Amino acid sequence: MKVNPHRFKEFIVIAVVVAVLAVLPVLGLPRTWLLYIFLFFIYLALANMWNLLSGYCGLISLCQPAFIGLGGYTLVIFTWNGLPLYMGILGGAIVAAIFTMLISSAVFRLRGIYFAIGTLVVPEALRVVFFIWRPVGEQIHGKGAGYMIKGLNDVSMTHIYWLAIFIGIVSIVIMRLTLSSKMGMGLAAIRDNDSAASSSGINIFKLKLFAFVISAFITAIAGSIFYMFQGYIAPESGFSMKWTMTMILATVIGGISTEEGPIIGTVIIVFLHFLLARYAGISLIIQGILLIIIMLLAPQGIMGFARKTKIYQSLLRLTAGDSI
Amino acid sequence: MAETTILSIVDVTKRFGGLFAVNDLSLDIHEGEAVGLMGPNGAGKTTLISVISGQYKPEIGAVIFQGHDISGLPPHRICRLGIARTYQIPHPFINLTTRQNIAVAAMYGKGIGKTAAAAEADKILDIVELTDKKDVRAKDLEALTLKRLELARALATDPKLLLIDEVAAGLTEVEIPNFLNILKRIRSMNITYIMIEHVLKVMLEAVDRVTVIDYGIKIAEGTPQEVMEDEKVIKAYLG
Repeated sequence: MKVNPHRFKEFIVIAVVVAVLAVLPVLGLPRTWLLYIFLFFIYLALANMWNLLSGYCGLISLCQPAFIGLGGYTLVIFTWNGLPLYMGILGGAIVAAIFTMLISSAVFRLRGIYFAIGTLVVPEALRVVFFIWRPVGEQIHGKGAGYMIKGLNDVSMTHIYWLAIFIGIVSIVIMRLTLSSKMGMGLAAIRDNDSAASSSGINIFKLKLFAFVISAFITAIAGSIFYMFQGYIAPESGFSMKWTMTMILATVIGGISTEEGPIIGTVIIVFLHFLLARYAGISLIIQGILLIIIMLLAPQGIMGFARKTKIYQSLLRLTAGDSI
Repeated sequence: MAETTILSIVDVTKRFGGLFAVNDLSLDIHEGEAVGLMGPNGAGKTTLISVISGQYKPEIGAVIFQGHDISGLPPHRICRLGIARTYQIPHPFINLTTRQNIAVAAMYGKGIGKTAAAAEADKILDIVELTDKKDVRAKDLEALTLKRLELARALATDPKLLLIDEVAAGLTEVEIPNFLNILKRIRSMNITYIMIEHVLKVMLEAVDRVTVIDYGIKIAEGTPQEVMEDEKVIKAYLG
């Protein structure tokens, strides 16, 4: 493979940015700043994986919190049984991937908005299951089925912060690899016209499932890392619609179906969280209003808007790569 | 001529509710042949093509392709076995360029990698005379170009049997010879084809044999000239 000089420059820039962010905790940056950078990378991974499904496969998935919750709860079950944290994270990702395979034959029968509604009930159902079922530990009376995550004593906050950076970057790399591969072309074909795709030899079910499994796997890891930071997981938070809201907002504001969109959108979302931190009650209302404004003014998001401008187009021409 | 049968449609029936779209129809296609499918609107021509290419499953009967029963297989499997189809209303991948449209069909239909598919797409672009439009996104193409793209996408999957659903409809007098040239090129690639067509000039020149169906039943068969003079055919069209 030839090394594209533009790609190489891009790689250097990303590597430098990541290195700077990674050493920040060692330099003694305030904890709240680190918290927002941590959230940025977690949300980035979530938004990227939602964009993969919604923006590139036409699968408007509203069941992403199911993967986050499953990741978190698997981590709990593993650590309560004395297994290492990393095994718990990986285990959660595998559980989420297997769970995806189980529900796929049902939800893939639904298309478009029906798929969205069909997937919406999945985290709700799991929330109820984990509310009633206590997989480890003693049965408790009263409400809630929350768990502390064990084995966190040896893990520093810096360590968890690095894990978040890692999963955020991995999600970017996965997007890049997937979209530039044969699979990415196949997914684009399915999104544009599924009957023509299938009569051109594309196994729609298999390709969609593959994307769904990748999305679930990474989403579960990001969820587990978030709950390592939190130290505590409850069904109401793990399987919450708020997760879905965050990833939709980040992707749509930044620009759905674009690779850069979720990155820009996540920056804005995290900044919003920072601004609205004191107004938790009305934060969702403000975010919702923002979403409506964006959809009315720039339905393709910031990136979609930027792409139409002349400066961006001339930049694109300068850096045109090896596209088919 | 010693001919091998490439496709046998054996007593196929496909209903929509109480309506027989294809009714106990049998048809043999020989290798290298070009067969026309005619009939009034709603006669079941497109349904028959959809049954062969796997979009519909026949309720009764079988579709035998090169000795294998393919009835009930999913469309992508049938495509990989060597049957490609075009759609009457073009089904392009609208956000992809002309070249990408063809390349993606080559990748999956032939099972080849990206680089090989790109080279294959360039070859096909030449055959259907779309090279000058190769970097235009399909959503910006005009209707007639989209029809050629339909053919191109089907050809990219490397078919042995091509099902062409009314590609010439809407062509002007001037464009028809050009289209006939493309069909000639397809024949010279050893591709057998079945073609639904209403443009008589195309039908007369581009096929060896015509089958006429009405209400899902075969009512006539023969050379294009023979069929045009058949009384049942005249009656079916004119009532």
